[in-house]
Amino acid sequence: MGAVPLPVSMSKNMGLWSQVKKVLGGVYKSYTFRVTIQGFLTLWVVTTCTFYMIRKMPNNPIQVKIEEFQTKQNLPYEEARAKVAGLYDYDPDAPFIEQYMDYMGDLAHGNLGKSITTGRTPVSQQITKYLPWTLFAVGMGLLISFVMGVLAGAAMAYWRGSVFDNVMTAFASISYGIPDFVIAFMILLIGGIQLEIFKVGDYIGGVDPQLKAGFNPDYIQSLFKHALLPVTTYVLASVGGWMLTMKSSTISTLGEDYITVAHARGLSQRRILFGYVGRNAMLPLMTRLAISVGFILSGSIIIETIFIYPGLGKYLFEMIGRRDYTTIQGIFLVTSAAVVVSNILADLLFGVLDPRVRVGGK
Amino acid sequence: MGFLIAIASLPGLIIGVLCGLVPLGMGLRHQQLKWGIIGLALCALAGFAFSLVGGLVMLLLTTAVVISYAYVDREDPFTSRASLDAVNFEESQLEFLMRQMAALGRTIRQSMRALMRNKAGFLGFIGILFFVGVSVFGPLFIEYDGITHVERRLPGARTLFQGPSDEHILGLDWKGRDILSHMVHGGRNLIITSLEAGLIATLIAVVVGAIAAMVGGLVDQILSAIANFILTIPQFPLLLVLASILSFSSRFYMALLFAALSWPALMRAVRAQVLSLRERDYVQAAIALDLGLPHIIIREVLPNLMSYIVVNMIFSIRSAMYYIVGLVFLGLVPLKEPDWGVMIFTGRQQGAIFNPDGASMILSPVIAIALFQLSLILFTRSLEEVFNPRLRSGL
Repeated sequence: MGAVPLPVSMSKNMGLWSQVKKVLGGVYKSYTFRVTIQGFLTLWVVTTCTFYMIRKMPNNPIQVKIEEFQTKQNLPYEEARAKVAGLYDYDPDAPFIEQYMDYMGDLAHGNLGKSITTGRTPVSQQITKYLPWTLFAVGMGLLISFVMGVLAGAAMAYWRGSVFDNVMTAFASISYGIPDFVIAFMILLIGGIQLEIFKVGDYIGGVDPQLKAGFNPDYIQSLFKHALLPVTTYVLASVGGWMLTMKSSTISTLGEDYITVAHARGLSQRRILFGYVGRNAMLPLMTRLAISVGFILSGSIIIETIFIYPGLGKYLFEMIGRRDYTTIQGIFLVTSAAVVVSNILADLLFGVLDPRVRVGGK
Repeated sequence: MGFLIAIASLPGLIIGVLCGLVPLGMGLRHQQLKWGIIGLALCALAGFAFSLVGGLVMLLLTTAVVISYAYVDREDPFTSRASLDAVNFEESQLEFLMRQMAALGRTIRQSMRALMRNKAGFLGFIGILFFVGVSVFGPLFIEYDGITHVERRLPGARTLFQGPSDEHILGLDWKGRDILSHMVHGGRNLIITSLEAGLIATLIAVVVGAIAAMVGGLVDQILSAIANFILTIPQFPLLLVLASILSFSSRFYMALLFAALSWPALMRAVRAQVLSLRERDYVQAAIALDLGLPHIIIREVLPNLMSYIVVNMIFSIRSAMYYIVGLVFLGLVPLKEPDWGVMIFTGRQQGAIFNPDGASMILSPVIAIALFQLSLILFTRSLEEVFNPRLRSGL
């Protein structure tokens, strides 16, 4: 994205050109524009790389299905092959460049293509079908753990050195140190099977299949009930990180001069805590929150698989197994786009929240 | 890559004892018998566990400690210049070596003290030693149980799963094999692979980050762009795709792959730190003296980053273990028994989750992984004290 090369004939009307250059330079220098271009470039490179890598995986969708027919229905190879050819609309022998050009052309029109293995449904439709589950469960978990972590962390910093602080710090270290799938297994095995606190069958899966989808209380209750285990796991696994970060951030804020000045001015304790300490201590956490939002989509494959939760992560894993190129591609694109957008938002948000670091001058 | 064999062996023990003779001899000569014997014991232990590598490293460390107790700093401003000409060159080299060893020994003693000062950190250290010790020495006492035992089926039981009993402390798995033996034998590969992955990732991150920050300009822009790009792709899904492409024949490739994907986060942090360090006076002085990039990075910049790097290396090891177990759990790597991750995978496949007798097959590795990772996290607190001189002298 260097400067536009200057044709020789243009050098005559330097006045006009310098005007244009000034405007272009202004646009280029504007932070939002630059970041947007960079984001698009990144997404393009990600798409190209994943496009190549996905097709480098051993076997292709046709082959996987043929093998499945051969083992499951005991069909001879030729028959299985004919059956698959009728089923799928994909030619694995088409040249790579041609496939890539087709895909990019579709993408330019905002079209993610059609899924290979699931009856030619559009990929965008597949994603909108599975995405809400992940957003619901992980989003809720992220929100709960963030709020709890921030409140507990601030309290730990305020009463630091107390019994409360020590107990909570120990808890936070454990929560931070233990991987999420360990917590998931412990909940299932100890809570569900050994102690029989709840019946596992009632809680895994996405929603009670007998209920009709809609805005009736039964359905919504069932949604929350089935999201309970993934959300609990997510909260237990991530609340510790928020607590520890908030604690250290609050402690360093409490030592700032302006807090001492606020005390000296005789401001009320509550005003100091919420208006002065809380607001400033939250700043570094807000960026991390925005970045975590970007990783919501990709960070839950194992948990969703353990709890058989019908989210995007589990779906992606299934599609990798079936080599459904277009669907994998689509999910990768959407998740990377989420990361890119949330990174940009994090930058902008930080500028809004903290006037000291406004990007781009004013 | 087998640079770490990490299994107790008799030749290793002999090597270890031979190595231990050096600190013992030093101890005898300088009337530090207590430290000499401790050195011999540590060398024997390390040699027993890690054969030549462990023995030689421990030989160096313990000898340094013994020398540091015996060495008296004879630096005398009145005699040094005069006697320099008289002193035999051969001997001055030996003197130099002794002084360096003593300095090293003092550093080790200080580090050990710093290590023990933080209670939580020391607990983590003990935890790591425990798991490494069990993985290395456990096979001496508990034989690997690798064949199906139909004869162990209890009357009336539908599966071979069994809960804990006196004979088998952790119970039996789906083939009727002793779970304890799988726990003892199954941790070594996982720990070594995570260790390699963490080390390689940290190495790449530090080298690339330091070069980007010190060289600057176009190099910096390109390296940062690559790092940002890798950070954008969702890591775990990408790992899933790559794992099926590469179909790992060796665990070392898995470590390499993890390192290739996970260096950018640390690299960005190292780059930022080096950028701020570069403006310090002593670094500017070194640049002005034209001491060369390797010298500036290794001698001036890195020592100030050590605590940060080491702590992040531990985090890196930890997330490597998470990803490796995750890949095994999803069945995307060739399953090779015995392994903690494979236990979780097959246990789930064979219905250990819903079988009250089979819970041990999944719970044991899961708890072991949790405790190991917790130990790593706690250990970082001690490491901060060891590698951060400001924290150390402040107490």
